[in-house]
Amino acid sequence: MTMLSADQIRNVLRARAEHRAVSDKKVPDVREEMWKLQDKGELIVIPITARNKPVKVETLFGWEKKIPTDHLWHHKSCGQCGNIPGYPASLLWFMNQFETSYLNEPHQTSCTAWNYHGTGTSNPVALAAVAVRNWYRAYETGTFPLIHCGTSYGDYKEMRKLLIENAEIRNKVREIMRHMGKELVIPEEIVHYSEWVHVMSDRMASMAKYDLSDITVTVHEPCHYYKMVPEDAIYDMNVHGGQRPAPPTALMLALGAKVADYSTWYDCCGFGFRHILTEREFTRSFATLRKIRPMVEEAHSDVVITTDTGCVTTLDKSQWIGKVHGMDFMVPVLADVQLAALSAGAHPYKIVQVHWHASPTEKLMEKIGIDYVKYKEDFMAYLQQIKNGGKVEYLYEPHKEMEKYFAVNKGQVIPEHDSNG
Amino acid sequence: MSIMKNLPNRKEADRPSMIVAGARNEENNSELAAKIFSQFRSDFRYHEFVLGCLNCGECTTGCPAARFYDFSPREMLQIAMSDDPQVLLDAMQEKIWACCQCYTCNMRCRFGNDIAGIISVMRELAVKNGLESTKEVLKPASRSLLKVMTHGTQVSPDMIQPDFFVDWDPKAVSKSSELAVLRKAIPIDVLQVTDSSWEVSMQTALELAQIYEESGVLDMLRALDPDLVEMIVDIISDWKEEFEEMKEKYVIKGDASK
Repeated sequence: MTMLSADQIRNVLRARAEHRAVSDKKVPDVREEMWKLQDKGELIVIPITARNKPVKVETLFGWEKKIPTDHLWHHKSCGQCGNIPGYPASLLWFMNQFETSYLNEPHQTSCTAWNYHGTGTSNPVALAAVAVRNWYRAYETGTFPLIHCGTSYGDYKEMRKLLIENAEIRNKVREIMRHMGKELVIPEEIVHYSEWVHVMSDRMASMAKYDLSDITVTVHEPCHYYKMVPEDAIYDMNVHGGQRPAPPTALMLALGAKVADYSTWYDCCGFGFRHILTEREFTRSFATLRKIRPMVEEAHSDVVITTDTGCVTTLDKSQWIGKVHGMDFMVPVLADVQLAALSAGAHPYKIVQVHWHASPTEKLMEKIGIDYVKYKEDFMAYLQQIKNGGKVEYLYEPHKEMEKYFAVNKGQVIPEHDSNG
Repeated sequence: MSIMKNLPNRKEADRPSMIVAGARNEENNSELAAKIFSQFRSDFRYHEFVLGCLNCGECTTGCPAARFYDFSPREMLQIAMSDDPQVLLDAMQEKIWACCQCYTCNMRCRFGNDIAGIISVMRELAVKNGLESTKEVLKPASRSLLKVMTHGTQVSPDMIQPDFFVDWDPKAVSKSSELAVLRKAIPIDVLQVTDSSWEVSMQTALELAQIYEESGVLDMLRALDPDLVEMIVDIISDWKEEFEEMKEKYVIKGDASK
């Protein structure tokens, strides 16, 4: 048997990765056309500048993508904020640790794509206009949009493509924006929060207070991160040999956890958009039988890690009912940034907000070495303090009452055009 | 767990009566079928999304819906390519709603078809044309529709009630009684609300309403649920009045964002 050198193995893997690029259809890089449209005055590109401290990464076809790490505008996720609030809280907590400048405002709508994918009650002009309205808010405050939700991330990449390739849609959206006193803007890159986390992995790992080497993680890769617009997802030859997206596996490895494989890694979680809300028999059956069971029985997973709203919700909330059929798995499901925050010593209840999760996290915390009983007592006392009208702890200074009504410009400077950052 | 049945291939007797009533009428309505077929083929996305098919079935092997429903993305693409308007209308009765929109089929397709996308186009047309079966399928989603059309977020903490989500979380009962204080204990000010995922400023909500109106989404929804549209219009109208009052209170002239 011939032994291959590391370089030869890399070449084999790269050749395999490049094979994806020739799968019958040439995939254009829409970003090239985007810059040309800006030159023609058709739209404004929100640039990533030196002020955003970008980090360069590689995507599926070996293209370069810039991930801004500072001066960010949080594009929140409705499902995360609605029932997994520790997800955004953990992200903002890390940004505070790193002294990252950000805005987290009420002047944002969701992408509305959950509704669209579930019910079909929208159209391309509306979806694109919603995207541009949100992007414009980041633009006018001198920040760069960081998309929390995988579906928003996928949808916004579809909308970017649509706005770049379809002049009719572009004109309609520009007209709607003009009626609002806004312009047609498109961010230089569409960036998912997990990509920010990915490029900050080593810094996050350096904050670790707990040893995760006994923790077995299974990763569920969200479909809308890498299947919706495949060419824009981050891949790394050192993670899964470049054959699967690098986030969040790279972070898990950086944290020292064991990442275990399972046979159905490629399957969707079963969210289904409409199904999770109104046809849950499908969602919970698929999630339990196709995802949770292999994760537990094949990989002996201590925790499931994923990077999207719907996937955390589905995999977490679908387990309890499995007990009826003797499937008492109850494996905790967390977002990447939540496990990293626990590892870095963030408060499990005040910051990571694990009490919103249906599948219990106590066993995991105990295995990590977190004294969750002490933290829980502390949190219960905090709840009582809030009930008594006591001080509430915030990650940033709360907005003024006026901002419940008006999108007051923070007076930040719109950055000069400089894409060389 | 029980394997779900899919309505299109059930026997007549198995079908819920309300759906049958609508479907029967529509199945015989060749005029409606022709109209929808024409709309479908003239949509700018049709020629971008439907590129050809080898019938290889790669799309279906990875499809989550295909495991539990009588549904296959391969079949959906074949239907999209069929020249028979009735075939399209039949699939739009219920089959289109089985799709999870996960895009696994798209990634596996060697032709580069956007199968999930073309199913979305069919769904849009089902809504726009007010199919009775669509009204029935989307009836339980009206609450989240109202939420997204007015608040711009699609779920809210107070929607997670034990009577609606009894299978989700045994702790939901205690959460619902303690919801306000638990939300207050989130260290992010805009998340400390219960009726929306986050507090959306009124200006932002009104801008979203403007988008829905100018892009034709409200008109589209009228065919599906006129009462819902009326409710949305009433809420937005009240907010517009309140917004003007707030402008006076905070002495803001013209465009608030400036």
